[in-house]
Amino acid sequence: MRSTDPCSRRALAKAGLLGAASAPLLASCGFGRGGEMVLSDEPVELRLSWWGSDLRTQQTNEAVAAFEAEHPNITVRGEYKEFGAYWDGLATTFAANDAPDVIQMDEQYFKSYSARGALVDLNEAEAAGFLDLSRIEEDLLVTGQAEGGQFALPIGSGVIALAVNADMLAQYGMDMPDDTTWTWDDYAAIALELTERGGGDITGSGITGGVDVASVRYWVRQRGNELFGENGDVTLDPDLLVELWEYYIGMIESGASGTPQQMVEDTGVGVEGGRLATGRTAFGLIHNTQISALRRGSGADMRLLQMPQHDGMPGNFIKPSMYWAVSAGSEHPAESSLLVDFLVNSEAAADVLGTERGVPANTEILEYLTPQFDESDRIAVDYLEAVVPGDPLIVTPNGGSNVNPLITRIGQEVYFGETAPDEAAEALIDELQGEIDATK
Amino acid sequence: MTATAELRGLRGDRAKAKPENKAAFWFLLPWFLGLFAVTLGPMAASFYLSFTDYNLLQPPEFTGLGNFERMLTDERLHSSLGVTFTYVLVSVPLQLGLALALAVLLDRGVRGLAFYRSVFYLPSLLGASVAIAVLWRTVFGTEGLFNEGLGLFGIEGRGWISDPETALSTLITLNVWTFGSPMVIFLAGLRQIPAMYYEAAAVDGASPLRRFASVTLPLLTPIIFFNLVLQIINAFQSFTQAFIVSGGTGGPVDSTLFFSLFLYQRGFGNFDMGYASALAWLLLVIIGAFTAINFWASKYWVYYDD
Amino acid sequence: MTDTLTRTAAPRRESAVRPVRRSRGRVRAFCKHLLLVACAGVMLYPVLWMVVSSLRPNDEIFRSPGLILAELETGNYEAGWNAFEHPFGYFMVNSAIVVLGAIIGNLIACSMAAYGFARLEFTGRRWWFAVMLLTLMLPIHVIIVPQYVLFSEFGWVNTFLPLIVPKFLATDAFFVFLMVQFIRGIPRELDEAARIDGAGHPRIYLRIVLPLMVPALATTAIFTFIWTWNDFFSQLIYLIDPDMHTVPLALRAFVDAQAGTNWGATFAMSTVSLLPVFLVFLFGQRFLLRGIATTGGK
Repeated sequence: MRSTDPCSRRALAKAGLLGAASAPLLASCGFGRGGEMVLSDEPVELRLSWWGSDLRTQQTNEAVAAFEAEHPNITVRGEYKEFGAYWDGLATTFAANDAPDVIQMDEQYFKSYSARGALVDLNEAEAAGFLDLSRIEEDLLVTGQAEGGQFALPIGSGVIALAVNADMLAQYGMDMPDDTTWTWDDYAAIALELTERGGGDITGSGITGGVDVASVRYWVRQRGNELFGENGDVTLDPDLLVELWEYYIGMIESGASGTPQQMVEDTGVGVEGGRLATGRTAFGLIHNTQISALRRGSGADMRLLQMPQHDGMPGNFIKPSMYWAVSAGSEHPAESSLLVDFLVNSEAAADVLGTERGVPANTEILEYLTPQFDESDRIAVDYLEAVVPGDPLIVTPNGGSNVNPLITRIGQEVYFGETAPDEAAEALIDELQGEIDATK
Repeated sequence: MTATAELRGLRGDRAKAKPENKAAFWFLLPWFLGLFAVTLGPMAASFYLSFTDYNLLQPPEFTGLGNFERMLTDERLHSSLGVTFTYVLVSVPLQLGLALALAVLLDRGVRGLAFYRSVFYLPSLLGASVAIAVLWRTVFGTEGLFNEGLGLFGIEGRGWISDPETALSTLITLNVWTFGSPMVIFLAGLRQIPAMYYEAAAVDGASPLRRFASVTLPLLTPIIFFNLVLQIINAFQSFTQAFIVSGGTGGPVDSTLFFSLFLYQRGFGNFDMGYASALAWLLLVIIGAFTAINFWASKYWVYYDD
Repeated sequence: MTDTLTRTAAPRRESAVRPVRRSRGRVRAFCKHLLLVACAGVMLYPVLWMVVSSLRPNDEIFRSPGLILAELETGNYEAGWNAFEHPFGYFMVNSAIVVLGAIIGNLIACSMAAYGFARLEFTGRRWWFAVMLLTLMLPIHVIIVPQYVLFSEFGWVNTFLPLIVPKFLATDAFFVFLMVQFIRGIPRELDEAARIDGAGHPRIYLRIVLPLMVPALATTAIFTFIWTWNDFFSQLIYLIDPDMHTVPLALRAFVDAQAGTNWGATFAMSTVSLLPVFLVFLFGQRFLLRGIATTGGK
């Protein structure tokens, strides 16, 4: 009569009613207890979840319909949310063992989930023949690996790039800089000259670094350092961070870049509402795939330039724009893997999805899509191909999911003059390492 | 029987002291059901979680008072408490003052009342919308309306929302701007004042100001009290506006990091729900203390007709 | 409609205060209007900016200052309305269902609880009242996970039930407290009189107290409408399936920092979703004015 399995639905319901008693049960049931890696003969319903704009939602729904047509016994329910809300919802559903089967995953969160056993090792799916990993760009594929397994599959890639408003350069009689040879000093000088020629109407550059994880990574990699080490600890060299911040403090003081206030105002309104798009500044840092949003929002001739150089060191890295992952609690890991395979490897899906989730990680798909590119796509892809990447990116470890807000906050303290760069650099590293240690 | 009821019984007020438990049970039945089935369980769970290390993905681990000890040395927590207290102490009186003033103004015989009321309420309808981040920048940004206005007087503005020194004041302004809810409650309260009191005052030949002071204000005190208690509770928990305007960061430089926002960042951003739960209970104690003081003080200034 | 309102509102004041000095009254009224219009103008600027921006092409929204429209671009409305697999109106219907359920629940359950707290003497009344206030004080972000576990065990995830059923159980302590304050403002003599006539509590509640607290009920209904219509977090957690999405979820789904947000469509649909709330308030507020003054004052 009495249920002895603490994870039976009835036991849970009772515990839920008793409130406090339910707390120890949160998330203790179910994960890793998903179904077997075999296809079912029965009708299967999968849940697929992603964040993104309305355009992504339309395209994904279309791709899903094509998948359902190929697999009549599988129905896929799409779920979409805005980026911030997405993570709250995802964590909550995991806590209740009610997570979607297929999950769009981000580089900063991926290990926080995989290290806690929340995701399926996709190598098993490949071994069972449901998923082909062979055509994914090798440097990208490793960014989905952790603890000896392939817990996430990169969908596409992006790189950071300097966007420039070519119309504005022409207006103030400046030449397009030669981005094959330019250094950070050249960049500062060009930006300053633009500000001066603008006579107060514009600034040459925005504050393009030191308040986001991508620019910090780029800067230190150009100097032979890494944000995180292979063992999951922080390896960032504080002196390099200080150097980066001081470079931008110099730009702010000289007027080459905008003020910290302007920088803050640009967060939260998106790339098409920022000063770069509204024609108040000529140079800004974006991801190469944001170029289409920027061109749309600005109506100007926006182009991408290679980042300034430092001693010829390749600081660049191909960042996985996002991943697909399968929830460990999924009752249908085999069908889920088929869906991932379809979304990443099939031409039918590529026709619909295009480059909206980044330049495709599947090299054959990229080739297949190339003839169909529009101008913005072409700019983004040409840029990516021109980039000389350094070593593959070392992914954010478990406990580091907050690294970007952390850098934003402490970088702002520095630019607003509230904390000295050297103190701030130490504080940043301490806090980040502390978060990581707390998960060990 | 409770002590107070017993006391009343001693005073010989027996008719009133007789507990109407049966009737009360039926009237409060839905509320009791809700309390025990929906509200208390999750509250108790969060209480338990506040003594654990809980990352949402794995079972919670009991850590005793660990989370509470951590609070002592958590500098961001301390600065978020500072931000929150400033916000509560400044924005609540301002918002309630404005709401009361406009409610009294709009309750009088001004033509087009319905229109004005709706117009003044409109911002409150928008208060939590995603659009507010952009809208607020158009007003308080470097090139916003406010700076343009200052420019007319030859004053040079600044990036109000983006300067750590002034960012919090713009959020206080945002809260004051959405004064519609307390205003509506005041309006409803004003309508609840029986006309006979005004008639009596008019017979006595009281001036409008005097009537306001001796009739309106005292009879409105239960509603003022309600608004005060609730707006303080709401202000302590304020989240959405700071979340949207700062893009979830509480920036610049934590200058708008409200307590709830900090708690949310810990809980969902850092997978630190155990600590977040402990923070929530700290907030409960703080709000509880404020509310208790409010209730205690209400004995001296709130007038009930019963 | 404004005329009828001022007329129904006017009598009690007019009878009480005779307009003695008319010309001075006019000047004063004019000043009042001036003040109100100035306030309204400042307050409305952001709202107007949003409406105007929704009528601008996307690439001009952030580049054209002020409120002057060069041309009327209605494409944003079309794009926003059809942005998802359902037309935007579908989400508005979903929101309306949730809102309607929540309003009915709150009106019934909160007024019953409030009557109990305000008019009945029962064991541990103060203690229970304190418990009710306590339930207001814990931030939702730590409640939501255990609550989700609970409702997911009930099988209520992806339905409107977690958003509606609790309202029928008076879990919105805000409104219980609000109504308690209003009921305490109703003179006791009124129900004592009814009691002498032999009325029990249910009758007093239905016949005396409810009619006299119409402003509080209207306030509850209007606030429930607006707060539910705008509520994002709990709807986000419980309404997973796009078929169940409501207005706030749909609006938020336009925003994407990475790939770019269609601000024109976002503003257009924000404007559209503001409309019903505004209309509800415009027409609902007449009930705010039905106080004792106009119905029960003897």
